[in-house]
Amino acid sequence: MDYRALAKRLLLRAKRRGARQAEAFVQVGRESSCRVRDGQIEELTQATAKGVGIRVIWRGRLGFAYSSDFEPSSLDAFVDRAVELARTAAPNPFNGLPTKEEAGRPAAVGGLFDREVAELPSEWKVRAALEMEKAGRAVDPRIRTFESLGAGDSVSEVYLASSEGLAGQYAGTSVYLYASPVASDGGQLQTSYWYDTKRFLGELEPPERVGSEAARRALRMLGARKVKSQRVPVVFEPLLAASFVGAVAAAANGDAVHKKSSFLASRLGQRLGGVWLTLVDDGTLPGGLGSAPFDGEGVAARRTTIIRGGVLEAFLYDTFTARKARARSTGNASRAYRSLPGIGTRNLFLEPGNRAPQDIIREVKNGFFVTAMLGQGANIVTGDYSRGANGLWIRDGELAEPVQEVTVAGNAIEMLDGIDAVGSDLEFRGSTAAPTLRFAELTVSGE
Amino acid sequence: MAEAPPIAPQLIERLLAAAMAKGGELAEVYLERTVATAVMLEERRIKSAQCGLTQGVGVRVVCGPKVGYAYSDDLEDFALFRAARTAAMVAQGRAEAAPVKVTRSPSPSYYRVAPPLSEVEVSRKAELVLRADRAAHASDRRVKQVIATWADQSKRIWVANTQGRFVGDAQDLCRLAVYAVAEGKGGERRSGFHGGGGRVPFTHFDSFTPEQVGQEAARQAVATLGAVEAEAGPTSVVLAPGWSGILLHEAVGHGLEADFIRKGTSLFAGKLGEKVASEKVTVIDDGTMAGSRGSINVDDEGNIGEWKVLIENGVLRGYMFDSLNAKLMGQRPTGSARRESFKFPTVPRMTNTYLAPGDDSPEDIVRSVRRGLYCAHFGGGQVDISNGNFVFEVSEAYEIDRGRLGRPVKGATLIGVGIDALKKVTMVGNDPTPDPGLGTCGKDGQNVPVGVGLPTVRIDGLTVGGTRVRRRKGR
Repeated sequence: MDYRALAKRLLLRAKRRGARQAEAFVQVGRESSCRVRDGQIEELTQATAKGVGIRVIWRGRLGFAYSSDFEPSSLDAFVDRAVELARTAAPNPFNGLPTKEEAGRPAAVGGLFDREVAELPSEWKVRAALEMEKAGRAVDPRIRTFESLGAGDSVSEVYLASSEGLAGQYAGTSVYLYASPVASDGGQLQTSYWYDTKRFLGELEPPERVGSEAARRALRMLGARKVKSQRVPVVFEPLLAASFVGAVAAAANGDAVHKKSSFLASRLGQRLGGVWLTLVDDGTLPGGLGSAPFDGEGVAARRTTIIRGGVLEAFLYDTFTARKARARSTGNASRAYRSLPGIGTRNLFLEPGNRAPQDIIREVKNGFFVTAMLGQGANIVTGDYSRGANGLWIRDGELAEPVQEVTVAGNAIEMLDGIDAVGSDLEFRGSTAAPTLRFAELTVSGE
Repeated sequence: MAEAPPIAPQLIERLLAAAMAKGGELAEVYLERTVATAVMLEERRIKSAQCGLTQGVGVRVVCGPKVGYAYSDDLEDFALFRAARTAAMVAQGRAEAAPVKVTRSPSPSYYRVAPPLSEVEVSRKAELVLRADRAAHASDRRVKQVIATWADQSKRIWVANTQGRFVGDAQDLCRLAVYAVAEGKGGERRSGFHGGGGRVPFTHFDSFTPEQVGQEAARQAVATLGAVEAEAGPTSVVLAPGWSGILLHEAVGHGLEADFIRKGTSLFAGKLGEKVASEKVTVIDDGTMAGSRGSINVDDEGNIGEWKVLIENGVLRGYMFDSLNAKLMGQRPTGSARRESFKFPTVPRMTNTYLAPGDDSPEDIVRSVRRGLYCAHFGGGQVDISNGNFVFEVSEAYEIDRGRLGRPVKGATLIGVGIDALKKVTMVGNDPTPDPGLGTCGKDGQNVPVGVGLPTVRIDGLTVGGTRVRRRKGR
């Protein structure tokens, strides 16, 4: 099917129905995955999916409809419905699609599509999953089973066209491995996970490594106990550090900032932490899982430095919010065909420092090394941060006994200010990444 | 249900036969057609109104513990048969192409939404959202921001399998929700959230009014202004009735789902008949509650929704089974197989999970606590099935000081191990309360609507995660 032609046809129909502006966003994809258990296939899934979202502006009002049914008469009815729905919404002078000038030229982003992934046979996934399981079990007999373990890939294409003259398309691939083993010493059950996801097969961590790393992480938690409540230095492993910077970036959402419901709202230009803190969102990163030539409404992808050398420098915007806040879109309109654009990060990362993670731990006499967390994290409005945490206690600079059933709490603003060491170990495993981070002092709640 | 499936029954039968072409024990065809509508308000006006259609087919082939699954949102013959052949690949054998015959059977009616929500004028939905916004702003001058949303879906499902089953269900669902932010002294901002709905007709909102929803969200936001930091460490906790049931959902519910039990990854595996909780604890999962968000006439394998006891007076009585895990474990399915959409195979899930009432009055429960925390409203929660660790964010909490509610507390998180926490339940109220219809549960990347419920409950020695370490005032 010619999706470009389809998008154009929908725009024409919307205009004929009285829409002043219209935009069609088409997503087409296929995916396949394999899960194994005890040396056998547990589940094989294969699928194709597609859908289109139609956004219209009618007399300053916004209407939106989506459908996965591409039968022409059904699609026409949905375009009509989008225009009709706009009547229910209130007019807003900031409504409107990005102009060609606002959108800019789509960024030239390399490394989105790997033919090898697109043509990856099922057998590869089955074999990779089996290798992961075998490698995980080989680490230690206390690895009893796996909660889940598998491999998969996807191919997706995006087509966008608008009445303002925007038209573009791109295709991307992704491939992933994940393993979640359960370790048992007869008493406790402990689980953990390890995974990797990349656009290119050649960059993916080998299955044996994913399996054995997952096993190692579950095993070291056996015998975990609570500790006493106390305030101590806390080190976040890269995966948890990534989720922390994700929470900070969520507070840099231009919409939350404009509504003053972000703890960063009044702090533009202020120092938030040490010069070693630089937080970047980059939609143009070659091979990045969050990379694309343009965002969910056709605005060119770009790089935005949110925090530079400890100073809050920028917020993230889509077109609507940018107009409201008298700013420029940063190309952060994020969406699927089923949703209106909202503000989201592309590839978010904290620039690495120059400290080896082992050294960051070695300097801690009595503290907590966090390796897993439960719960949502920071409250964007207040910055209050409190999560369930598992990990290892640090004694005299060494990783010691495992710890569970505690929480780590603080306030994001104080936490940013309290970061006193940034590791050199930045690596992407998804679209958000950060190196090892140490917070000078946080509250650990336990007994 | 009167509606006809989007493809003819004869075609479904041919698909089932094609799915069994390489052998296997069971093939299943799941068809879905969902129309969803949403209205969103912010900054005192309707920002957007939207509507969408998704439809598709999922074909599953079961071969011992192995599952082949394929889906397609294209309902053309070639796409349907491609899905059937793809799912069939999980079985390695070769079978005779035996014809399959399915017979439509009736479903119970635990909810009936007429007219379907998709047929209610969108302007009436917008009106609810506007009323909720007005009420939230009118209730207190300190309310500075309101986001109000309406979301509904009219989902139609049909399930047929090679055992001859063919059932359908009309699953309508809606939710009105308000998020409010209040501003206090010195620019302090606190938020509140309330909402509700279920598998209910639009007239539900004549009695569960948008004004109630708006006022309650505003009340929470204002009530927590000036909150003190939570004190870290173990304490006695009193849970308010209703929505606090998500604690039960996380702390024990997930651990009783049959997939975790069969794989031995739940700490409740192998404990049937054992005492796993205080004798005051009786936990029910009930897919048959009238109009409730988690109710199902039939589950997503076509089994009828059921009422089942999970824990009775502290003793573990049963797990929640889908047919795959039931068969492998020599048990009977309990109407617990659920999926988010045709894009997923089923997994065993909760429906409406609640704690049966006890004898204590809610007032006596609060009065009995010398020093503790009253948890009025929760945000989200999460559990690790294997080690049983769970957490909850308490979005509205108060100190309990000598049996009375004291100052509001901010930033509290509850943490515990499910099996220990249940043993520490010392009082259970006589005020059973279902939640107003808020819950969505995530598992294996699939979200499904659920109900929870709880009377007022006292739990001793639960750890409160906070920022303030005891006996060290200030920082």
